[in-house]
Amino acid sequence: MDMGGLALVIGSILSAAAAFIWLAWRIGKTPSLKSAKGGPNQQLESAAKEDVEHIFNDEFREELRNRGRLHFEKIIGENAMFLQQDLRQTTTQLNDYMRSEITRTLQQEFKKYEQSITDAKQLALDSIEKTITTIDQQRAFLQQQLATQSEAQKAQIIARFEMEMAGIINHYILRAIGNQIELSDQLDYILAELEANKKAIVEDIKRGT
Amino acid sequence: MNPVRGKNLQNSADSPDANRSSNVMHPPSLQLPTAIVSQSDVNRILREISTLEDFFLSAKARSAGTTIKPPRITFMLEQLARANNYNLLEATHRADLKAKLESVLKTAPMLHISFATEPSLKVTDAVVGWLRSNIHPQTLVVVGLQPTIAAGCVVRTGNKIFDMSLRSHLQKHEPYMVKLIQGAVSAER
Repeated sequence: MDMGGLALVIGSILSAAAAFIWLAWRIGKTPSLKSAKGGPNQQLESAAKEDVEHIFNDEFREELRNRGRLHFEKIIGENAMFLQQDLRQTTTQLNDYMRSEITRTLQQEFKKYEQSITDAKQLALDSIEKTITTIDQQRAFLQQQLATQSEAQKAQIIARFEMEMAGIINHYILRAIGNQIELSDQLDYILAELEANKKAIVEDIKRGT
Repeated sequence: MNPVRGKNLQNSADSPDANRSSNVMHPPSLQLPTAIVSQSDVNRILREISTLEDFFLSAKARSAGTTIKPPRITFMLEQLARANNYNLLEATHRADLKAKLESVLKTAPMLHISFATEPSLKVTDAVVGWLRSNIHPQTLVVVGLQPTIAAGCVVRTGNKIFDMSLRSHLQKHEPYMVKLIQGAVSAER
């Protein structure tokens, strides 16, 4: 049952209650045919009143009242039962509806949440991938740079070593020999060297003179 | 210094041979013995000659019977006098020798020679002898020490340096040594 049906049922119950109240009020308000004196009309009227009083005496009225009450109670009971059934049905439907709505909403929310998580995960994966790529690039670059620098340094060290090596060895030999060679043993070498430079020495001395 | 030589000088001054030696011919240029090495040696000899002059001057002025103590002359002066036929008892010889020595100081070429260690007399004699017989007969040499050269010598003239040391020899052959080591290293690789 939808909301329209529910409204219709409630409307019918309210209209029946209103009709019953109005009927009771009208019955209670009807004027009684009391002693009327006057003309024939009045007599007839009073005779009719008496007959009415005779027919609709208190017992009969009480009987009618009871019947009306019972009928009203029956209608009320039926309507209440219908109303109860309708209410139960409505409640059930409402529960189902609510359940389905909540389920649907929850599913949607879950779906959205799942999508968000998936997106976030994808984003994180992309970011990690990018980071890994960048790190790999940096590592490759650093490796290359390190290799270049290492080669340059190696070449520099070798060049320096080659440049300094001879000096170091000479220094070592001179230090190692020191004063170990007797000057008398060097005499032949010295005289030979002087002989070799004789011309230059003589020329320089002549120039100086 | 030898005190015996001083005595000989005293004896020879009194001998009659002193006047005879004045007729001996001297070499035209002074022959320096190898014992005289440097300028300071020449200066020392000049001082000795001056001392001798003073001695003979005082000997003339002495009173009879007074003992005098003659100055001692060095081996260098004795050798110089002997090599050039000079008699140091004669004033003319002394004057001539002095003049020639002063001339040597002015004109003789000066060489500076450095060794790794202090040279012995034998080495100095040999080197100075070679220089005087091959470069100039009156070459004066200043001997120095340069321990860093290890062996050989370094001769410095007025304008040039002749590095005849082992250090220089090794430095000259540095490229060859580098080449050898490079060859060895490349062969090892």
